[in-house]
Amino acid sequence: MHRISIEERSNWKDLADEVGFKFHTIDGTRYWDESACYRFTLKQIENDIEDPTAELEHMCFEVVERVINDESLLERLAIPKDFWDYVRQSWLNRERNLYGRMDFSYDGSGPAKLLEYNADTPTSLYETAAFQWVWMEQAMEQGLIPPDCDQFNSLHETLIEAFKSLNLDGPLHMAACQGSLEDEGTVLYLEECATQAQLKTHFIHMEEIGIDAKGRLTDLQDNTIQTLFKLYPWEWMMRDEFGQSLSNCGATFIEPAWKTVLSNKGILPLLWEMFEGHPNLLPAYFADDPRASKLDAGYVKKPIYSREGANISLIEPGQADLVIPGPYGEEGYIVQALHPLPVFEGNHAVIGSWLVASQPCGLGIREDNTAITKDTSRFVPHVIRE
Amino acid sequence: MKRSKSLKLALMGASVLVLTACDQPDETAAIFENIDECASYEGFELEQCRTDWETAEVEHVRTAPKYTDVADCQADFGDAQCEKAPQQTSSGGSVFMPMMMGYMMGSMLSGGGRSNVATQPLYRSKDDSKNFRTGDNQKVAGKTGVTKVASSAARAPSTKTSTMRRGGFGSTAARSGTRSFGG
Repeated sequence: MHRISIEERSNWKDLADEVGFKFHTIDGTRYWDESACYRFTLKQIENDIEDPTAELEHMCFEVVERVINDESLLERLAIPKDFWDYVRQSWLNRERNLYGRMDFSYDGSGPAKLLEYNADTPTSLYETAAFQWVWMEQAMEQGLIPPDCDQFNSLHETLIEAFKSLNLDGPLHMAACQGSLEDEGTVLYLEECATQAQLKTHFIHMEEIGIDAKGRLTDLQDNTIQTLFKLYPWEWMMRDEFGQSLSNCGATFIEPAWKTVLSNKGILPLLWEMFEGHPNLLPAYFADDPRASKLDAGYVKKPIYSREGANISLIEPGQADLVIPGPYGEEGYIVQALHPLPVFEGNHAVIGSWLVASQPCGLGIREDNTAITKDTSRFVPHVIRE
Repeated sequence: MKRSKSLKLALMGASVLVLTACDQPDETAAIFENIDECASYEGFELEQCRTDWETAEVEHVRTAPKYTDVADCQADFGDAQCEKAPQQTSSGGSVFMPMMMGYMMGSMLSGGGRSNVATQPLYRSKDDSKNFRTGDNQKVAGKTGVTKVASSAARAPSTKTSTMRRGGFGSTAARSGTRSFGG
């Protein structure tokens, strides 16, 4: 796996503005970074990323099956008791999932190691599916990269197919929180895909959703919401005021409620317990498990619920602890064996492997100057070339 | 090839990456003000006209715009055009809706096959009284008879209700203080 410095397209910022990619630069700092790209061989992509992603997804389904039938595990994963039946039914009814992103530590040789699964509200979708694709077409056209490059990225088409397969009769409401350009951008992009799948869509902010006398969710025009795509985590939905109305509101959600089992870092110790020794897994335990002391060669402590690197501690013997502050951690922690990210000229790179309807179909890479990826980490494109 | 064959983006304000705008295929629909008008139309039978009217009436209760104040309804549809809806607010108050001014169907025209036109009520708003509109405010036609309508307008309209309160999602997010709620 190589990181190659390349020339940027001279007008890429104008293009980004034109297509509505408003968060390419955040607070004056680069987010989208095309001054470099990563290069993989096809074998690396297929054998080391694509196939393991598919296999891990099936292993995760086994975890969900086990968790929904075990109340002690539902409790361990801090899923509120009032929602155990709701989550169980969502799984038993085979409610369809749309997408997710598995993050791996991978350096091009040796098996990719699963760091976590963003199964409920993965972001960087637009950059990965669309902007990265356009970058490559234009970079080849402009001779900035060789003309025979490929990319692991069929996200756009696969998303459209997945929306078609939902077989929705009524409209699809699509929601993001107010005040986040990135989240709105992600949802607008998904709305684009849904529209190309001939669905009727309505954008709404989570805070604007209302409720009627019968407990059904409503939009700003007082239409009832039948199907809601939400870029908003289940663990917060359940704890919000309208959470108590969810089981009776009659709406279908994307992602479905069973995904909350997987978007929880508690699956990492469960996967290790059920599939100990699997090449793509790292040893992991709940923080209060006595076996956690086995991880003496270095470990990462992560809250069960957290995102974008917040509240993560990286402990390596002989090194200063690296601790990221944040608001998470109330529900408990897990510890995972340390498997440092590969470093390329000071850039720590994490592989984001995307699934759409449980099918692996794309790759996005994020880089940070430190060992823990955060929401300010840069997005760098990639190519496949032998 | 491991990547998408093509990419088309329109919604995010793109002029560069634009595609052939998807032309919506039209559907053939029949529009009438009442059962008698339907039954006297060439090729339409009274029984079917009546069944479709009854379906439209049921849909009317579900999909007509709803108002908790009759004056708001009258402002949109006209003074004599509103009626009391069977629904009630959670405190037992009245709900109002425009009267059904016509209906649309597709069933008889597709030779017994499944039609993409959902049988549904039609309305005329005060500021555009020449045109029939669906419960989702999609304009369909200026006169009765058999005509083409956009397939988006032919779909079953959404359920209309009265919102009791809003803002029941988002407070947990606000407490966390992060910039983006994805991960």
